Amino acid sequence: MPYEFEEILETIRMTEIEHFDIRTVTLGISLRDCHDRNLEVTKQKIYDKILRYGKNHVKFAKEVESQYGISIANKRVSLTPISIPFDAFRFEEYIEIAKILEKAAEEIEVDYIAGYSALVQKGMTNGERELIKSIPFALAETKRVCSSVNVASTKAGINMDAVLMMSDVIKLTAEKTKDKDSIGCAKLVVFANAVEDNPFVAGAFHGISEPEVVLNVGISGPGVVLDAIKEAGKVDLQQLSEVIKKTIFKITRAGELIGRKVADKNEIPFGIVDISLAPTPAEGDSIADILKAMGVEDVGAPGTTAALAMLNDAVKKAGLMASSSVGGLSGAFIPVSEDQGMISAVQAGHLSLEKLEAMTAVCSVGLDMIAIPGDTSSSTIAGVIADECAIGVINDKTTAVRIIPAYGKKVGEFVDYGGLLGKAPIMEVRTLSSEKFVGRGGKIPAPSRSLTN
Amino acid sequence: MKASEEEIRKITFEAIEVLGANASPEAVKEAVRKKLEVESGETFTAKPGDTTSGRVILTSFGLNKPGIVAGVTKALSENNCDIQDLSQKIMGDFFTMIMIVDISASQKELKEIQTEMAKIGEELKIKIYLQHEDVFRFMHRI
Repeated sequence: MPYEFEEILETIRMTEIEHFDIRTVTLGISLRDCHDRNLEVTKQKIYDKILRYGKNHVKFAKEVESQYGISIANKRVSLTPISIPFDAFRFEEYIEIAKILEKAAEEIEVDYIAGYSALVQKGMTNGERELIKSIPFALAETKRVCSSVNVASTKAGINMDAVLMMSDVIKLTAEKTKDKDSIGCAKLVVFANAVEDNPFVAGAFHGISEPEVVLNVGISGPGVVLDAIKEAGKVDLQQLSEVIKKTIFKITRAGELIGRKVADKNEIPFGIVDISLAPTPAEGDSIADILKAMGVEDVGAPGTTAALAMLNDAVKKAGLMASSSVGGLSGAFIPVSEDQGMISAVQAGHLSLEKLEAMTAVCSVGLDMIAIPGDTSSSTIAGVIADECAIGVINDKTTAVRIIPAYGKKVGEFVDYGGLLGKAPIMEVRTLSSEKFVGRGGKIPAPSRSLTN
Repeated sequence: MKASEEEIRKITFEAIEVLGANASPEAVKEAVRKKLEVESGETFTAKPGDTTSGRVILTSFGLNKPGIVAGVTKALSENNCDIQDLSQKIMGDFFTMIMIVDISASQKELKEIQTEMAKIGEELKIKIYLQHEDVFRFMHRI
């Protein structure tokens, strides 16, 4: 037999028991040719284009799913940041565009459509300013549309005016969607060093240097890594790193195969594999559990950041070996609401916002799906965003903030979205004021490492 | 729509010619629109991929009892599937069997065979998985 008995059983175990899945196949579509000065024509062009490329996306993904016995959890679409092709539009028109995106997403049956975005790290055009202002309204009136705004980069520094504006946008989004636990904020990401080919929502968009259309795939499988670590038993950290790498190598290979097959069926080019350990609320599908299996008592214990750094790095190394198309964020995600282990750690008082911030310096994204009291001031939120941006800008990595100031809720309460978004305990935020600092506005200049030429 | 203005003009003239005396502006417009839709439809409809060719790996396990191998192989042969390799182990009361099966000669698609085998698995109270061979090759062979 060309395969060992154990090899075959290992694959079956990964796919059937340990929740190894393709987290998302994301179809990136350029909308740069969809502008018209007439809004109705623009809307029709957008709708037609998404349908033209996306109409079989879900169907083909399902076919590949059954062929290989590996489930594809989500089928999504990412778009050119809307503010770029439609810069001439204003507030109300942007909201109309959001609605047509929703309609198209519903028609092709994808669960999210991302790219209601702007890249303003160095400054804003008039159109970008209008788009940002429209975000709370667009997210309140749609279910599937996701938004992201890049406010900082290592090359450009931190646009503090944009940070301030985004903190107001987040507050207003929370208010506009207060009936549903401020769910709008779960679909809104503030980025530093955003990547152009990220297949994971809510931060996905089809970057400006991407082709007409492309298929990116996001792979996950915390359960697989968790079981491998448990099985390895008492080994030293170097050996543990090897165990993680071997496991990730295998699932990346499988993920790339699946991604390429879906792309082939759609007859569009394959883009990248993003190997990111992304938890879900399902039992065992948790990054917190991995960290605990590595040896810390609970997330938040001293040593957590080191364990996470090692995990993140091992994931990246294995991904790089397994595929020459590794991209996106690739690493470990630490969203709170989507990870049962993280939720328990917060509830037990083991994990604070400050420790999470430290962890984001070594994980692949940032402060993700964190609920805070609804009465947190926007200057405090701006301070949190600025801190996170600083980590990203100085360390030349992507960081993000997806924070939910849950309208009308206090520490000890919950926001509960169900499904993949999960449920988040409201975390305590320091009430010390950052108002005078963030209120200065302007820009934090780019760091010395931006001058690499 | 990808058609250039020139192509649209050409199609319009063709439509007028075909319609002859019936060529009212509305009729021509309708005909041209249909023609363009068909053409752009052809451009963007992907060809169905070659999903049935090649080999799949069948894994089955469950509590051991008489008739499992017979049940599985009978269903495979009825579907014209060629068993190319087979490995079987009993671990305690537990039965495991792995087969490499060529389904390219089968008149059925993998999905249909999967459904059928799942039904047989239910009858025999065992689990049966069928997955394309590639996924094992990609994971375990460089």
